[in-house]
Amino acid sequence: MCGIAGIMYKHKSARAGVGKALISMLDACQHRGPDSTGFALYHEPKDGEYRLRFYVGEGDAAEATVGRIREKLAEYQAEIIDQERAAGSQAFRVRFSGDLQKLSYDLEHIAKVFSIGSSLDIVKDIGGAHDVDRGYHVDDFKGTHGIGHVRLATESDVAPDASHPFWATGFADVAIVHNGQITNYWKMRRRLEKRGFEFNTDNDSELIAVYLADKLSHGVSLEEALKTSIDDLDGTFSFLVSTKDEIGYAKDRLAAKPMIMLENDDLIAIASEEVSLNRLFPGSALNTHEPPPGTFRTWRRSI
Amino acid sequence: MAQIDLARLSVREANELLRKYGAEREDVDILNPDARHHVGVGLVHPINVRVHGSAGYFCAGLTDGPRFTVDNNVGWGVADNMLQGSIVVNGNAGAIAGVAIRGAEVVIKGNMGSRAGQVMKAGTLLCCGNANFMAGYMMYGGRIVILGDSGDKVGQDMTGGNIYVGGKVIALGTDAMQTDLPSAEEEEIRAFLERYKIPFKGKLQKIVNAGKNLRYGKPEPRVRIIPFFMASEQQGYWNTKVQEDIYVKAQIGRYRIRGYGAGRPLPHINDLAFRKDLTNLPADPEITKKVNLRTQLGGRNGAKPLDLSMPVMIAPMSYGALSKSTKVALAIASALSDTSENTGEGGLSNEQREAAKQIIYQCLSGRLGWNIHDMQRANGLEIYISQGAKPGLGGQLMAKKVTKEIARIRGIPEGIDLRSPSRHPDVLGADDLVIKVEEFREATGYRLPVSVKLGAGRVRDDIKIAYKDGFDFVELDGLQGSTGAAGNEVLEFVGIPTISAIQEAMDALSEIGASGKMPVVLMGGIKDGIDACKAMALGAHAVAVGTGAIIAGGCIACLQCHVGQCVVGIATQDPEHEKRYNTPVEARNIHRYLESLRWQIAAITHALGYSDVHQISRNDLVALTPEAAAITRLPYEPELAERAKLLRKASLPNSTLGDRLP
Repeated sequence: MCGIAGIMYKHKSARAGVGKALISMLDACQHRGPDSTGFALYHEPKDGEYRLRFYVGEGDAAEATVGRIREKLAEYQAEIIDQERAAGSQAFRVRFSGDLQKLSYDLEHIAKVFSIGSSLDIVKDIGGAHDVDRGYHVDDFKGTHGIGHVRLATESDVAPDASHPFWATGFADVAIVHNGQITNYWKMRRRLEKRGFEFNTDNDSELIAVYLADKLSHGVSLEEALKTSIDDLDGTFSFLVSTKDEIGYAKDRLAAKPMIMLENDDLIAIASEEVSLNRLFPGSALNTHEPPPGTFRTWRRSI
Repeated sequence: MAQIDLARLSVREANELLRKYGAEREDVDILNPDARHHVGVGLVHPINVRVHGSAGYFCAGLTDGPRFTVDNNVGWGVADNMLQGSIVVNGNAGAIAGVAIRGAEVVIKGNMGSRAGQVMKAGTLLCCGNANFMAGYMMYGGRIVILGDSGDKVGQDMTGGNIYVGGKVIALGTDAMQTDLPSAEEEEIRAFLERYKIPFKGKLQKIVNAGKNLRYGKPEPRVRIIPFFMASEQQGYWNTKVQEDIYVKAQIGRYRIRGYGAGRPLPHINDLAFRKDLTNLPADPEITKKVNLRTQLGGRNGAKPLDLSMPVMIAPMSYGALSKSTKVALAIASALSDTSENTGEGGLSNEQREAAKQIIYQCLSGRLGWNIHDMQRANGLEIYISQGAKPGLGGQLMAKKVTKEIARIRGIPEGIDLRSPSRHPDVLGADDLVIKVEEFREATGYRLPVSVKLGAGRVRDDIKIAYKDGFDFVELDGLQGSTGAAGNEVLEFVGIPTISAIQEAMDALSEIGASGKMPVVLMGGIKDGIDACKAMALGAHAVAVGTGAIIAGGCIACLQCHVGQCVVGIATQDPEHEKRYNTPVEARNIHRYLESLRWQIAAITHALGYSDVHQISRNDLVALTPEAAAITRLPYEPELAERAKLLRKASLPNSTLGDRLP
């Protein structure tokens, strides 16, 4: 139960905005989800480098977890270039050339992974958009695109690691924000687990991310993966997916969850409610569009 | 012309100002709306309001009389439940445009989203562009005009009204069909278009209900009476009740509908006992004055709470399922006992309003009888999500009871087997629900408590959502709750027992650190003051009685509520049958029953050593069965069973039922 938002800029001049824009958009729909807020942000990738972020908490337990992560990284010959501790999370930049999926499954067993990718960094915490901004300085973030989420916890805990966005566990750079409920979750999950995939949570949004990322890893286009997701997923959903080069949406056939989009020469912005889009252009009447039920679309970054 | 600038004022402040300008008959310009929700909600004066930009959800919702113009787009539920008045939207509208309108004119110049006109009763919804998925879904009356394409499944399960499509009819919904368009009707539509200066030269196609699903093929038969209490005594696998059920199904060839609730043995409040020996309760007529029973409900967000003389209220039951005489008797009794009555699904009549001192007005999925004026004269508002007798399903009212008068107050066609939607048009999740609750608060100036009625299913999740969505209190209804009509299997097997429901509710609140912060009113098989005290010991702040009140008022529990020919004039709309109901006498009977609850609650509270009923706690209880112990985590002490039986005898004091007959 939640609100979602995503943005992609088309011009270099506009690149200043992603963090600021997402904070405004999520703050505008915070009534849909007061429990926690999160952002999936995309940095410029560097060859051979990955970003990893973990939820470690506070105190001695956090130190012990960080120690275990370091050991595991060393074991996999992932060389730490940089690191950061922010608001209960620990991030690393590493140089790594091995099997990323194997490493990430191993890491999952010793710590809660927020995200792994050459470009992706997921920051999320309990509280509102401005609370999370205070912990992570999202406001300063510059990039081409990103997605975000406000959450009203219904079936699982109010905790940083139960917040969205979700990373497609095991697949670099794929993130998802989702409003709705996937009713064939366990059936789909067992199907994927049989093929060796692991899941970090029992959250249905993670399933959508892994489902899509699996298709992408087999060379299927994001657009095609979204198309099949509408057939394969049961339930109610409006979701946004992002990779390091693309964002996209899919909407269920029942049109049970809201979604509204705005595209102009400078940007594509998608949100649960128009009030989020209007935050980007206060005082202006916008030419928005509501995607019809059972539709999907993707955009690729041009800068 | 007044101006309201939403860049400087909150929507709440703006709506207050708008109501003030409305009362002064001054037109208003709204600046910088920036797609914010609830603009103009609750306005009941015929003024012109112009929104300079886009509005969000429920723009012009719950209104009567104003004329709105929106320069750009609107979000979900534009003109929700609008009675008279109009709104012209120059851009697009989101989902459920014109939901539940009852006479308004809604003009969308652009496209509109899914399920437009859902459960509308009267008025016109015009879309100049394309409609989307399921336009006219479950509409009961009025007309939808779509100049562009219809979208998929147009007219899905419509009951009444007409849909006209100027573009392509993409696909008809279930039980919808195309028919000829009489020229007189076409002229009326062209006149409407002209009035709003909309050019349209094309041809219109007319869609109506095909009439295949309005009535059950075979009505429920009348059967030999086996009263509920006899039927539910028989615990064998094959018994008279099962036999009857099979006979009925052999006649009608479908699931069977009946009244009352689950009759099979289930863990219940009887399976608990007080730890302290209360068998020597004094028969003290003054006992009710020696303890505090006063109970307030619904003040947690600053609304004026319901103020009850004891923690017992009347459970929601509809005018429709019950006769007006019965609803009035319940209202009188609730006032005599200084507690509250609840409208249930069927709207609020003047007689009910006048008779009741405090009344909760319930909003259900079909929005039957729902309107801004009755909201504003209620003492509390309640969103019905589901009920214990049939969690997850909508209400049922069989054709015999859908008389002209019932059809009028509910805004539906006469003589249909009414099956209310199982979901609200505009509540598809906790995130939508929070916006709906806010709409109710805006419409009533934040004066009234807003509660939610929940049938016991996934109580743990539901209670957390209710708390987070800011409800003032919850009415929680367990599996033992009754109803006027539901499928037999649903009554017996869907949901969880009342005792499990209250335990899960308390656990849920504790898990999110909200224990004691949101009152829960428990219902579903509460029959006396002993049950009430045990429910409160488990954590309920109050209880509600439905079945008990009806029986006190003359019900013989014959299970035929759905048939509509109730022999005692309770579950009927037939004037000949209703004549048998003596309202003043039955009101006194219900009142005396409520007073017997008061006496028992007071006596038990006092005997437990407390001065206030709200001091009773879990520590006062033990479980008599392993099941009840497992559900409640109370100590298992079966040896106290005998004592519990004695208590039941001891606590029937000074002949509360002695002068029962007139």
